Amino acid sequence: MKFYKDHYDVVIIGGALAGMSACLQLQAWGIKDILILEKHNMPGGLATDFVRNGFEIEATLHEMMSIGQPGRRLKVGQFFDDMGIDIDWLPVHECYRVALPNSGIDKILHHDYDGSYRTVAKEIDEVCPGTYEKVHELMLLCRRVYDSMNILSVTPMSKVQMLMKHPDFVKTVGYSATEVIKTFDLPQKAVEMLTPYWIYVGNRMDDLPFTIYAFLMADYFTGSYVCKGFSHEMSMKMQAKCEEQGAQYEFNQEVVKILVKDGKVTGVRTARGDEIACDYVISGPYPNRVYTQMIEPLSEVPVGAIKMINNRKLSVVPVSVIMVIEGTPEENGITNYSTFSGTTMDTNKIWENYSNLTEPYNYITTICLNYANPTLPEGYTQLSITALVPSKPFESVKEEEYFDLKRRLANEMIEECIRITKVDFRPRITEFEVTTPISVAHYVGAWKGNIYGYLHSMEDHAVARLQMKEKDHFIEGLEFAGAHGMSGDGMGPQITNGRAAAKAVKEDMEKKKEAAEA
Amino acid sequence: MSIKVKGFLQDVGGASRVTKLRAENFAKGSPVPDPRDPIRDLADKLHPKHMVFRCTDIREASPTSRVFRFQSADGHIPVFQSGQYVNFRLKIGESVLSRPYTISSAPYEARGPKGFFEITVRRNVQYLVPDWLFENVKVGDELEGALPFGFFYYEPMRDSKDVVALAGGSGITPFYSMAKEIAHGKLKGVKLTILYGSVKANDIVLKEELDAIEKECPDVKVVHVLSDEPDWEGEQGFITKEIIRRYSTENCTYMFCGPLPMFRFVKTALDELGVGPRRFRHDVVNNPADVSTLPGYPKGTEEKTFKITVVRGIHEDVIDAKASEPVAVSLERAGIAIDTHCRNGECGFCRSHLLEGEIFVSPIGDGRRRMDKEMGWFHACSSWPLTNLKIKIPIM
Repeated sequence: MKFYKDHYDVVIIGGALAGMSACLQLQAWGIKDILILEKHNMPGGLATDFVRNGFEIEATLHEMMSIGQPGRRLKVGQFFDDMGIDIDWLPVHECYRVALPNSGIDKILHHDYDGSYRTVAKEIDEVCPGTYEKVHELMLLCRRVYDSMNILSVTPMSKVQMLMKHPDFVKTVGYSATEVIKTFDLPQKAVEMLTPYWIYVGNRMDDLPFTIYAFLMADYFTGSYVCKGFSHEMSMKMQAKCEEQGAQYEFNQEVVKILVKDGKVTGVRTARGDEIACDYVISGPYPNRVYTQMIEPLSEVPVGAIKMINNRKLSVVPVSVIMVIEGTPEENGITNYSTFSGTTMDTNKIWENYSNLTEPYNYITTICLNYANPTLPEGYTQLSITALVPSKPFESVKEEEYFDLKRRLANEMIEECIRITKVDFRPRITEFEVTTPISVAHYVGAWKGNIYGYLHSMEDHAVARLQMKEKDHFIEGLEFAGAHGMSGDGMGPQITNGRAAAKAVKEDMEKKKEAAEA
Repeated sequence: MSIKVKGFLQDVGGASRVTKLRAENFAKGSPVPDPRDPIRDLADKLHPKHMVFRCTDIREASPTSRVFRFQSADGHIPVFQSGQYVNFRLKIGESVLSRPYTISSAPYEARGPKGFFEITVRRNVQYLVPDWLFENVKVGDELEGALPFGFFYYEPMRDSKDVVALAGGSGITPFYSMAKEIAHGKLKGVKLTILYGSVKANDIVLKEELDAIEKECPDVKVVHVLSDEPDWEGEQGFITKEIIRRYSTENCTYMFCGPLPMFRFVKTALDELGVGPRRFRHDVVNNPADVSTLPGYPKGTEEKTFKITVVRGIHEDVIDAKASEPVAVSLERAGIAIDTHCRNGECGFCRSHLLEGEIFVSPIGDGRRRMDKEMGWFHACSSWPLTNLKIKIPIM
């Protein structure tokens, strides 16, 4: 029985956001002979949800970025529109509440859809009088870096041109977020209010490139969205479009080997033993897995690839408590969508705390979906509490202690949350799940349960990644699309990562075609 | 004016600096591949895809039921919780049938090198192929499958310490597992009262075992409720609102496992007692053998037969299907493997795509996501054809 054609132009491993975006982008360029092999029986990878006792529960999505309002779409939103994918985007009406009892801060910050960043400056000024101009200037700097980054990631230019046209981008590349923010001479409280999002890129402010910080701030403070049908809606509609345009998309098919001959991809092998020939592979699996386990034969892996993966640090992994709680959000002490809270905003201290499994996590993100999605069942609160932590401590967890560990972590995180809600909602918990890096590894197979790719650090800077793109490419016909890609982590960037992989494939195809014609 | 961070030259040199740093570090990197991923290893250990089980003991649990004990061929049984199930993949004739059985032994009994698990099976319960197990599985036989599955278990972060179990027939199995776990000193602080409904005294599954636990462990109480045993000295009749109230404490959690008619009966009683979803946990409830008894089913259709075009990859088969049988059963009869687990619409392992035609989806345990419903995805185990169909299912 034959389930596959003998040959495909492109095989995409992993039908998650990046893989599907790669497919859609290739299709838009007329490259249609595509096979997507997905390990799970659902599209979208982590962009998914689950049903328990009749409650549909969002698994992961906090905020979808770079969407923009209709008529004023940003990069990712524009892509969905261009692809003819109509998603029921629901706006999130705030950026976040930052609640730091030890610093005397409890404030909700809001975005401006027009990218003016006046509201956030005003709101911080309300807490730290006299900071309006400085905060506003910092936000505008972030925006200029964001705009430059978006242009430069697709349009290469000379160093002189870059300095002329994108001076702020160029001049801040070499510094950490802390170093650049320092030049604004803001009071500590204001800095703390501008820090919470660090966790969404997963590194301490002292080691986080300002470029990444700026991108994040500029993006998030123009507003974010969720999907009415949960992140599953986005995944389902992308899959339907891929198939409608002729791609073959198969579930429950884990690719175990990427076949390589003379430095060039020749095909893949699935867990059930199908060998499928192709010219290009776009890999969702991390380079760590690909170069140490999947390439067949392993002798085809250049030593440079091994050196590269051995030198890259992994980013953070999620520990989430996902709950449905009896009672309205107000009854459970929750008054807004997204809250960052903890005992400190010193990201060095948080990082130290996150790097062990003994102390309770001292910094958490609480998301109450009811405030973004009015279609949830009435009388129940859908709440998730997340810490994004290094995966290292989870490497030594034993099977026998895993369930107790999950419950302990969950209880500690709930206690931290209750310090802010002031309502102990534990007796009303109706549905309860805890996800850890082990859950991520189980469902999507990501390397060490990592959803955030490689750590954004001064040693592994996004701009250096971009400049070394060619050097980081080791096997002909093999591209990567996922959080380990150039644009890094988050659901929005996965769309960009997928499109970048598609672009690499298209350019290589064109190069080969030209060579053949010549 | 653009920004000044430290000084013009240092500022504009940033990109070169970070790129040089990265390149230098890469060059210094170890050339030795490191394929270890302990987190994925733990995930695989907790959720093995495929296991081989050896039957090591079979014993009677009542005149009509038996306990089958299994050990894992590789010596490892993943940690599970009382109430979860094992999914067997049984090769019967040309077909591979996947069937779920609640684990009736206690989680602690599965630990260690001699760890085992047990299932307790009653004869003549429709479509769970128990008769096949009775007639075919002997000590020493090997079966394939995997565990653990399911979300029906006591969750200390959610449930009350006072648990009132409502069991019917072979629905005693999750609670027997739980009772044994409590008697072994696990599930600290949990007090379990089992209201166990049977027809006659000799229908009671695991009676002696339950008696023994009750005697030994003050935190476990078993109340037999018999519907057709006039001389019975204990509770008689069905598990009514009055009986439930008699054994309840304020804010206790109710856990149900039993057949559909009993589920409906108990659900009504609990609704009347004002018990909402938070305090009522129930196991997967099996659909009735006769689909036409389900609310909303277009009566008369059940007599019909249809064709189903089954797409797997670029391959297509056309198979016969009875309207009276779920799509998954028609696939199994035709020798087409489909990955079912719960068999009643909840878990979604058999999630498939309806390309053409119409189906009836059982309202019992309809675990489909909202967008799945909108976009034509269905769970093959609990969907019946109403017309000829064209469906796409995962390749197995």
